[in-house]
Amino acid sequence: MPESHCRLLHLVLTVAMLSFSSVASAATTIIGSKAFTESVILGELATQLTEEAGFDAEHRRQLGGTRVLWSALIRGDIQCYPEYTGTLRTEIFSSENIRNDAELRQALAREKIWTSTSLGFNNTYVLGMRRDRAAELGIARMSQLADHPTLRFGFSNEFMERADGWPGIRAHYRLPQQDVRGLSHDLAYRGLESRSLDLTDLYSTDAEIVHYDLTTLVDDAGFFPVYDAIILCRDDVPGPIRESLNRLGGRIDEMTMTKMNARAALDREPEAQIAASFLRDRMNVSAEAKVQSRTARIWQRTREHLAMVGISLGLAVLVAVPLGIVAFYRRGVGRVVFAIADILQTLPALALLVFLIPWLGIGYAPAIVALFLYSVLPILRNTHTGLADIPRDLRESAEALGLPRIARLRYVELPLAARSMLAGVRTAAVINVGTATLGALIGAGGYGQPILTGIRLDDTNLILEGAVPAALLALLVQWVFGWLEHRWVAAK
Amino acid sequence: MSCAIAFEHVTHRYLHAVAVDDVSLRVEPGETVALIGPSGCGKSTLLKLAAGLVWPQQGTVFVTDRALAPDNLLEIRHRIGYVIQSGGLFPHMSAVDNVTLAARFLKRDRQWIAERVAELAELVQLPRDALDRFPNNLSGGQRQRVSLMRALMLDPAVLLLDEPLGALDPMVRHGLQEDLRRLFQRLRKSVLLVTHDMAEAAFFSQNIVLMREGKVVQRGSYRDLIDAPAEQFVSDFVKAQRGLHAEALDA
Repeated sequence: MPESHCRLLHLVLTVAMLSFSSVASAATTIIGSKAFTESVILGELATQLTEEAGFDAEHRRQLGGTRVLWSALIRGDIQCYPEYTGTLRTEIFSSENIRNDAELRQALAREKIWTSTSLGFNNTYVLGMRRDRAAELGIARMSQLADHPTLRFGFSNEFMERADGWPGIRAHYRLPQQDVRGLSHDLAYRGLESRSLDLTDLYSTDAEIVHYDLTTLVDDAGFFPVYDAIILCRDDVPGPIRESLNRLGGRIDEMTMTKMNARAALDREPEAQIAASFLRDRMNVSAEAKVQSRTARIWQRTREHLAMVGISLGLAVLVAVPLGIVAFYRRGVGRVVFAIADILQTLPALALLVFLIPWLGIGYAPAIVALFLYSVLPILRNTHTGLADIPRDLRESAEALGLPRIARLRYVELPLAARSMLAGVRTAAVINVGTATLGALIGAGGYGQPILTGIRLDDTNLILEGAVPAALLALLVQWVFGWLEHRWVAAK
Repeated sequence: MSCAIAFEHVTHRYLHAVAVDDVSLRVEPGETVALIGPSGCGKSTLLKLAAGLVWPQQGTVFVTDRALAPDNLLEIRHRIGYVIQSGGLFPHMSAVDNVTLAARFLKRDRQWIAERVAELAELVQLPRDALDRFPNNLSGGQRQRVSLMRALMLDPAVLLLDEPLGALDPMVRHGLQEDLRRLFQRLRKSVLLVTHDMAEAAFFSQNIVLMREGKVVQRGSYRDLIDAPAEQFVSDFVKAQRGLHAEALDA
């Protein structure tokens, strides 16, 4: 690819990046959260406390896993997000052999990250039993399990294998039980309920603890690692915000967090509302729960989705049409261009999005760049095909009229290729509408957002709230382009 | 020297074959020359060489006394009208837009364009309402008339016609032949006409150039070709062309 084309592409990408990094203006504090319910609730608490301190705040929900959130924080795409000390030790600073919280704080400070005081709960593995069964046997601590060798244990398959799971516990507490089975988590809960199991592994703040009325055993020999919940912020976040966030310190114990999780996961209460009622009841903060109506929510998702699809498609047309023309007239360039475009097309969308995060961060920019890259090939190919399919005698007739090349392109060749080009844009648009649902994974919103939340909460209605409009939009796009083709091209 | 079209030792090779092999040929101003020969003899390529659509590997092509070169090509093409068998009309433009495309691009005066269109429509006997139609809604004969209008729009000195009547059915073809001959005589253009039909060549011109395998075999009137064939191939070609007619009459 000649340098000029490289430069053009670079320019377009830069413009796209700039226009979207400016969407979230510097004045707004962006709070991120991971893609599970507890993180979303904590993110919502942090957002409302930031607002309470008198700052504008925006909550980008369920952005992904630890890596995504951490790199977004380091890049400054988000200013704060809830995290766990154990996760930081094992996933972020795994090579540094950090032994205690003080060392962790120092390591974070080196990355210019401020750490809130611990929120008060430790979300780690725990062992849970039916409350009545534990009372009947008089078990409250893990060390007491050694006195009951006939208890039936059922653990999740992963827990059966992990060094910090059953093998470690058995060695650490010298447990004698023989009846130990690996099974899926859902089955384990049902096993406890039907009394065919006595004990299973849980996260200490799982909503199921409330739902199944379980009691959790105290890890009295200190086997499980500590996963204290904290809030991380960049150290350029204003002092008043940090002070406000620190007010959460020590205020949320395991049971409180578990109940909040249960309200979201089991009662389908919006996270914003759960956070607001916590702040109101426990901290006397009159926070405002911004719960959107369904219509407002769908309208916002529609705008986000249309913005992603429209902008990426527009950029793709601007780049792919000239590129297709050049590729047609300069065969050497064409081969290179098509080779690159073909490779881009074969990248899985999810992988491409993840590759783009270190470069472009989270939000609109990587989503639009990914969608742009997917739109280029169909438009490029159809522009090239449209031009190549023009009959030779028409091409020569235009030449023989004494029109210079640019005029032949403008008056004869592009109009003749228009139908094929339009079909390419249509293909790209329909693909984009579908692919854009993945944008929610990296914080760009759109119809993928309710789908993602629906999957997290196992809520079919929410999934449909994203899937149905996405399907309708794809149909609408088909229809609009069909009409355009009929109106502009086929009439002649 | 003053000539409308001249080929001087022109050779053009395609990838695997020689299409035009060291051809020298002149068309005088106002003269109609008919190029004839079997398929693949190079007659269409010769026409494309004159329009600058293909370039010779050897030799020079002159149009209105100027050697064709990339830098004067556009200008010289404005002095050439080119009509092909299929008409080559742009399907996305109405007939009148096809006719006026080059003139509009050259920013000719609107009034002049309108008058010129009316004049040409009368000349080629095209009904006025046909001008607003798209090529797909025109008959085969009308399409060739529109194509001819387009070729004549800028009043070129030279007309290059590549089987202009080849795709028409016999009745329409016959009518157009008459019209065309009258038109050539009236306009005094220099015409290089490619045809595969000896009767048509003879009908249009006293100057028939018979080609075979990229070379000119003989130039002369129809009578010359019959009475004084340059070689056996000329007689064979003329005979083959007359064959069916003659056999039908003899029977």
